[in-house]
Amino acid sequence: MSKTMNTKLNIYGQLVDSRLLIGSALYPSPEIMKQAILASGSKIVTLSLKRQNPAEQAGAKIWQYIQEIVTENRGFLLPNTAGCKTAKEAVTLAKMSREIFQTDWIKLEVIGDDYNLQPDPIELLNATEQLLNDGFKVLPYCTDDLVICQRLYDLGCQVIMPWASPIGTGKGLMNPYNLETIRFRLPQATLILDAGIGKPSDACLAMEMGFDGVLLNSAIALADNPVVMAKSFAQVIVAGEQGYIAGVMQQRQTAHPSTPTLDTPFWHQQG
Amino acid sequence: MKLFINGQSISIETDEPTLLVALQCYLTPDQQQQSFAVALNGNFVSKTDYPQTSVNRGDSVDVLFPIQGG
Repeated sequence: MSKTMNTKLNIYGQLVDSRLLIGSALYPSPEIMKQAILASGSKIVTLSLKRQNPAEQAGAKIWQYIQEIVTENRGFLLPNTAGCKTAKEAVTLAKMSREIFQTDWIKLEVIGDDYNLQPDPIELLNATEQLLNDGFKVLPYCTDDLVICQRLYDLGCQVIMPWASPIGTGKGLMNPYNLETIRFRLPQATLILDAGIGKPSDACLAMEMGFDGVLLNSAIALADNPVVMAKSFAQVIVAGEQGYIAGVMQQRQTAHPSTPTLDTPFWHQQG
Repeated sequence: MKLFINGQSISIETDEPTLLVALQCYLTPDQQQQSFAVALNGNFVSKTDYPQTSVNRGDSVDVLFPIQGG
């Protein structure tokens, strides 16, 4: 989306103060998770649903922490459909999430390959259509394939979330050209780079490209110091956005002196 | 009557149990007070429908709770 100064992230008309969306998994402890999420300034926290053994109570504590964070932050929950491999599974899980979390936002994941956790584009489009028709606001996680992104947009997705690289790899932006092309071809969509971010400069690069936001989890949760890393991501996302708004200079093939050459001091002048 | 809840085989004494009865057999009292959602044979069932939804022998029930996610 073309941006001006001080714009907010637009999720289906809901304006959000931070352009960083953050996951709640993989932290060393629930306490560090809470500190890191609050340090990130993120207003949108992703979470999921899973089976729980009757004897197990750990999930209840995590849910309590996430509720505290979202309340304290005046933020939003973004449930995902992680682990689903078919449109039917994803639609069922989305409906279960809507009942528990009282939100029609859904981060739609439909995985097609177990090796690289690549989304299945056919099942993803199928599930997206069903969920949009059922009143969901779908945030689909997809690859950096322009045509898939276009189809999702045509179905009615106002937010699209192509990957940077496979989930949890930390490999950063594998195909910058693809991502730039998606940005160029879908100027009205809210584009959020999701998955594969490894370091703060990856997030900065995405924002410099004109992406509207970045969703990440492992890069913060698996850092040596998740709280400091969360602050770092918060800063670079603002920096990258400002760089995009300011307009990056065009690259040139030849060197151009920065210092004016007119009236160069005498030692370079010919007698 | 036997059915499966979260993959576990559960026996219920009642002849024509409802989903509500099945959940009360499976979940601890603490868990019954927590946030959870249910699917019966892969289809979502709203909380308000538990008392009038019948379960049959061999049915598969999934009970899901909030957890952390990316």
